[in-house]
Amino acid sequence: MNFVSNATSAFYDRSLAQMGSLRGSLERIQTQISTGVRITRGSEDPAAASRLRTLARTERLSEVQADNADKLARDLTEAGDEVLGLANLLARARELAIAAANDPTGANGRAAIAEELAQLELELFDRANALTLTGEPLFAGTAAGPAFTRAADGTVTYNGNGDIASVPVAPGTQLERGLTGAQIFEFDLGGSPTSAFAVLAGLTAALQGGAADPAAAARAAIEGLDAAIDTATRSQTVLGTRLAWVEVIQDNQNQRALTLAEHKSAIGDTDLGEAIARLQQTLTALEASQASFARVSNLTLFNVI
Amino acid sequence: MPGAIFQIARTGAAAARASIELTAQNIANVSNPDYARRTLITSEVVGQLPGTRGTLSGVRIDSIARNDSALIQQQARTSAGALARADAELSALRDTELALEQSGLFEGLVEFEAVLTQLEGSPLEPALRTNALEAARQLATTFQFADTVLGTARAQVREAAGFSIADANLQAQELARINLNLVNAQDGTPGQAALLDARDAALRNLAKQVGIEASFAANGAVEVRLAGSGGAGSGPLLVSGINSTAITATNTAAGTLEFAVGAVAVAPASGALAGHSGALEAQADYKTQLDAIAASTIARVNAAQASGAAADGSPGQPLFSGRNAGDIALALTNASQLATAPAGSPAGSTNTTNLASLVASLGAAGGPIASTDQLLLGLSSRISSQGVTRSGLAVIAGNAQATLLSQTGVDLDTEAANLIRLQQAFEANGRVLQVAADIFDTLLALR
Repeated sequence: MNFVSNATSAFYDRSLAQMGSLRGSLERIQTQISTGVRITRGSEDPAAASRLRTLARTERLSEVQADNADKLARDLTEAGDEVLGLANLLARARELAIAAANDPTGANGRAAIAEELAQLELELFDRANALTLTGEPLFAGTAAGPAFTRAADGTVTYNGNGDIASVPVAPGTQLERGLTGAQIFEFDLGGSPTSAFAVLAGLTAALQGGAADPAAAARAAIEGLDAAIDTATRSQTVLGTRLAWVEVIQDNQNQRALTLAEHKSAIGDTDLGEAIARLQQTLTALEASQASFARVSNLTLFNVI
Repeated sequence: MPGAIFQIARTGAAAARASIELTAQNIANVSNPDYARRTLITSEVVGQLPGTRGTLSGVRIDSIARNDSALIQQQARTSAGALARADAELSALRDTELALEQSGLFEGLVEFEAVLTQLEGSPLEPALRTNALEAARQLATTFQFADTVLGTARAQVREAAGFSIADANLQAQELARINLNLVNAQDGTPGQAALLDARDAALRNLAKQVGIEASFAANGAVEVRLAGSGGAGSGPLLVSGINSTAITATNTAAGTLEFAVGAVAVAPASGALAGHSGALEAQADYKTQLDAIAASTIARVNAAQASGAAADGSPGQPLFSGRNAGDIALALTNASQLATAPAGSPAGSTNTTNLASLVASLGAAGGPIASTDQLLLGLSSRISSQGVTRSGLAVIAGNAQATLLSQTGVDLDTEAANLIRLQQAFEANGRVLQVAADIFDTLLALR
């Protein structure tokens, strides 16, 4: 309703209400500028507030997932290092087996080789029981305790399980943490299951006088060592591929964090330029209405009688 | 006859003087919102003795007229009542928003989800486990905090409703008293005009608290009914003649209010009371939703614990105790009791299947996080649209008030012009007296 009234109090009421609303919006803009936040209460823009909540949640989860990815990368690097070390060990064992398989190597030489092989087997056992930075076994699957145990007779058996825990590293992406000891150390040889430990221990025993023809036994063991090296190298490749994958995911995470921050800023942050322009506009309007109010309220007949 | 001139000038001067007094009264009440502008009604006096042609005898003060328009008054009342309703409801909903949004419930749930996700990366690390347990404790505290603040907001609304009822009853009693006085008041007297001012003020205050229908008798006495849902005249009588009936309110189990006038149950249609009542119903609904989210959180977390094994391989124990937002509390005492591994796992298992399913359950559609977002979105959308409605109502109420003021309010310019006019009238009457005196003197000087 467009109504022009002359009642004095109506004029004052109207002017006060108009100046009050101008002052209110001034204060709102001022708060937006000084806090840098456009939405302080959800009711100011419900849909944007809901999107901000979703973005904040995604951002928080991304932080945690980035942490997880960092830790996974560390674990995978460590596992890769251990597997590289044991591949080198096995390669050395294969050289020794070839030397032992040479007929000119005498009994003394074979005894020395057997001694070194026994050392290599011990080191292999230690590496198989390596721990992560947080003290959990690297190659025991999800089981606690040592991955491999040695019985009284020297036989080494896998003590872990076949489960691999997976770690959430990105929204909807779970990565397996590593490989089980069984995948790295155990393989089939001629149709029957065996392990790198068994091959090494068998060769050592044969060279220490357990076999009538040690050279032939050493020649036979080379096949087993080849299979062990093969398994270890394959594991190393798997770990390396997984690590590369984690790196790709970390790159993506960084990209996504940037995009998220941009989205959040676009929705929830004050656009300073716009806010200052609006502040100036409102200020001008308020000053003008104050000035005109003062002028108009002076216009009374009582001034002239 | 010179005597008549004196009489005419005297009454004229008296009428002008009375008008000036009334103008002064109008000016004095320029900022009194309850005051309706008065005007002096005068009429000519002609002495009419039987068998004569009548003698001019000046002017008579007839009555004091009070500018009034029942229709515009009613419009102003109705729009002010609607605005009061929107204000009351909006203010209560804003408090509710404060309780549910600023308490950080959503952030608490997200933080809990985040630390559990982090725990998946290294399920046996004591620092991360402790972190998760503390996040759970914080979440329980946040639920309780939100519940307390919501409860305080509801108590405030109930208290405000109590004040509204007390004020409405006071205004109704006042109206009954005014009705009684109006019966004895003479028409056209300043006393009656003041009573009518008081009547309109009381009606306006009453309408701000509760929606009413008013009907007026010839002498200005008012009969007030509560605005009913069944159309005009369907509500119970609040003020009838010199009697008023009190509005009463009773608390319901759900925390809302039920109103009655005498023995008749009523639902206020407008005014602050309707706003309080609507806000209480909305708050009861939000309280139910908050409790449902708390219950869902407790159920999901405890179910996950029950289907898992703690760090030492023992079956998982409930993480939270309680059934709703008010009594949710942390039940575990040690972070090693968090059941990250599936049931039956040996001690020290790094299997996180159980933890992963809990994280998925918390973040699932329909889970606590999504429900909280929905709750907040619903609440803030409601406040936002109510805010729009409120500004519309404020414009309508402002216009109705302006219309009313233009009808009944005092315009200083008009009064100033009147003042000059009446001063001149008074001086002119004085001049007439002077002339009459001169005539007398002339007559007396004849010899």
